[in-house]
Amino acid sequence: MFMLAMRSIRHRPGRFLATLLCAFLGAAIIMTFNSMHDTAAQNGVDSTSAETLSTAAGVVGGYGTLLVFFAVASALTVNVRQRAAELALLRCSGATPAQLKRMVVGEAVVVGLVGAALAIGPAMLGGRMLLEVFQDSGQVTESVEHSFGPIALMTGIDITLLASAGAAFLAVRRATRGHRKRGGARKFLAYAALLTGAVSVSSTFVFSATDAALMAPPAYGAILLSVGFALMAPRLLEGVLDRLPLSGASGWLAVRNLRERAGHLAGILMSLILFTAVATATLTMQAVESDAVEASGLTKSIDAKNLETLNFTVVGIIVVFVCVMLVNSLCAATSYRGREFGQQRLAGATPGQVLGTVGAETVILTVTGVLFGSVAALAGIVPFTVVRGDAVLPGDVYGIGVAVVAVAATATLGTSLVTARRMLRTPAVGAVAVAS
Amino acid sequence: MFRAGSRRTHDKGPAPEAVRLVKVTKTYGSHDSAVTALDGVTLGLGRGTFTAVMGPSGSGKTTLLHCAAGLDRPDSGIVRVDGTELTGGGEAELTKFRRGRVGFVFQQYNLLETLTVAQNTVLPLKLAGQRVDRGRTKEILTSVGLGDRLGHRPDQLSGGQRQRVAIARALVTEPRVVFADEPTGALDTRSARDVLRLLQQAVRAHGRTVVMVTHDPVAASYADSVLFLADGRLAGRLDTPTPDAVAERLAHLGDNAAMEV
Repeated sequence: MFMLAMRSIRHRPGRFLATLLCAFLGAAIIMTFNSMHDTAAQNGVDSTSAETLSTAAGVVGGYGTLLVFFAVASALTVNVRQRAAELALLRCSGATPAQLKRMVVGEAVVVGLVGAALAIGPAMLGGRMLLEVFQDSGQVTESVEHSFGPIALMTGIDITLLASAGAAFLAVRRATRGHRKRGGARKFLAYAALLTGAVSVSSTFVFSATDAALMAPPAYGAILLSVGFALMAPRLLEGVLDRLPLSGASGWLAVRNLRERAGHLAGILMSLILFTAVATATLTMQAVESDAVEASGLTKSIDAKNLETLNFTVVGIIVVFVCVMLVNSLCAATSYRGREFGQQRLAGATPGQVLGTVGAETVILTVTGVLFGSVAALAGIVPFTVVRGDAVLPGDVYGIGVAVVAVAATATLGTSLVTARRMLRTPAVGAVAVAS
Repeated sequence: MFRAGSRRTHDKGPAPEAVRLVKVTKTYGSHDSAVTALDGVTLGLGRGTFTAVMGPSGSGKTTLLHCAAGLDRPDSGIVRVDGTELTGGGEAELTKFRRGRVGFVFQQYNLLETLTVAQNTVLPLKLAGQRVDRGRTKEILTSVGLGDRLGHRPDQLSGGQRQRVAIARALVTEPRVVFADEPTGALDTRSARDVLRLLQQAVRAHGRTVVMVTHDPVAASYADSVLFLADGRLAGRLDTPTPDAVAERLAHLGDNAAMEV
């Protein structure tokens, strides 16, 4: 089975590109930040610098692990789903579920390993640049040298491999078990995340306006709420669809398609919700905090600066990562639909109508994602601004919100329409025949 | 793109000839690997006829059907459907033309998995922006024997039932011509018979024109006449066919093709 895995990678490298990209980016981020641990552990690094470096590594490293897992998992799920026919064929030719599992997990591990190996070089450069940022802002003394050591290397490779293998295992298990209702675990996790998020957000009111840790509870609360929403994504989508009066052939078809594929689209919706919530909440809170510090006339402490740098780096990473994930999974999901598009065209849909359907689907998806992401973000922002400043809704939130929504909409609409357009170049008869 | 463009505004009723092909040529590939699928085919099919197109594998049957239906563009020659010539034009224009006058039935059904039986059936009407009458949907599905399956999904149906949905979908727009590409190719004999009877009924009862590509002599015997195709050329015609006569003719076609090679 491992031989089969190797062959399938060698002969269809393109199919693994999405997974490879996720593994590569993830490994690069993890290694970049964990090399701060290595740098801090060197002899002769003063305690303030070491603390700054370790905090950055700890916080972003944690985020990074989660992100890598999510990203690789979503790429692999799409990959396995698209290969349903191939896997079924293998099962018919006598492969046991365990063998299929070994094959898919084997492929994922090899791809993860390649991704991690490719990431080493960029991560070294990235680590050096990150250290310079810290040094320029005076958070780390100039004398500290960058070091790319065992911690960065081991965590980077281990986490990427574990994430790949775990995600592949889950994806293939879901595929070989066939269609079955999702268990209660997901529901439980969703409610747990929503509850802890709500508690965390409410606990903001316990803090006083000048507490250094004031930003933590609403920020974590907003993230947890968005995770809760993300886990409930398919049901939220169905709820939105029920309240949507759409006319026109494209809209009609879009609503029906989305309803049927709600489960499949959950990954994309998840990324959208997380992206909107995390980016809006963190950036707005940071902007409010900076304004408040400026207004009070105090200079920023090292801690405050650390927090600012961290917030911006975290958001930057999440934005890039989630965008890549979105583009990745949307592109893969849309190219998978070539046959369906062909069937629509044979049933009498003009290319414009097919694009219209895809566009309508994406708009509904984006609006749903942005809506629930914003709800989660606002749930965190409002308590924070009430405690920190006086206004309920700061002026910053609008500009940031609009920017975040614009990025989300451009990424989703752009990807799906461009991919769909490319799919439409194949004549309808050919598109239908290829997959059959 | 439509030379007889005036027909769009005031329909004068069906043209006497449903399908007309003049010297249609189609070549796939280029240079050394070029394969001539159609080599100057000229034919005319009268309104309200049921014609089967037969021939050995690679004889160009499917290409003929695709060119006649506007799904593929011939390299040269003229294709006229219901009196209107299909020339250039974009896919959107062609689609809009086909939507009103042409219905399709494929071997692989090509039903949309996300839609129910009823939704699949009315899809062409929806796409054409027409109002959909629930009673009419039920009526047309009842006529193909699926009146009690409106809410089912294609994957809950047998192959024969799916093909009957496809036929209902092809007929829902009341097209002048129905093109069927191996409609019984994936069906058992009993389901195949149901499907062929439905096609026959569309011709006899509703005056539609049906063109069906098949390799099955029994299926071809349901047609009024059979056109034989070999190496991209017409190789004969058989009226009021019986399965045995068709099979014998086909066997000789094979001999000829083999001898030429």
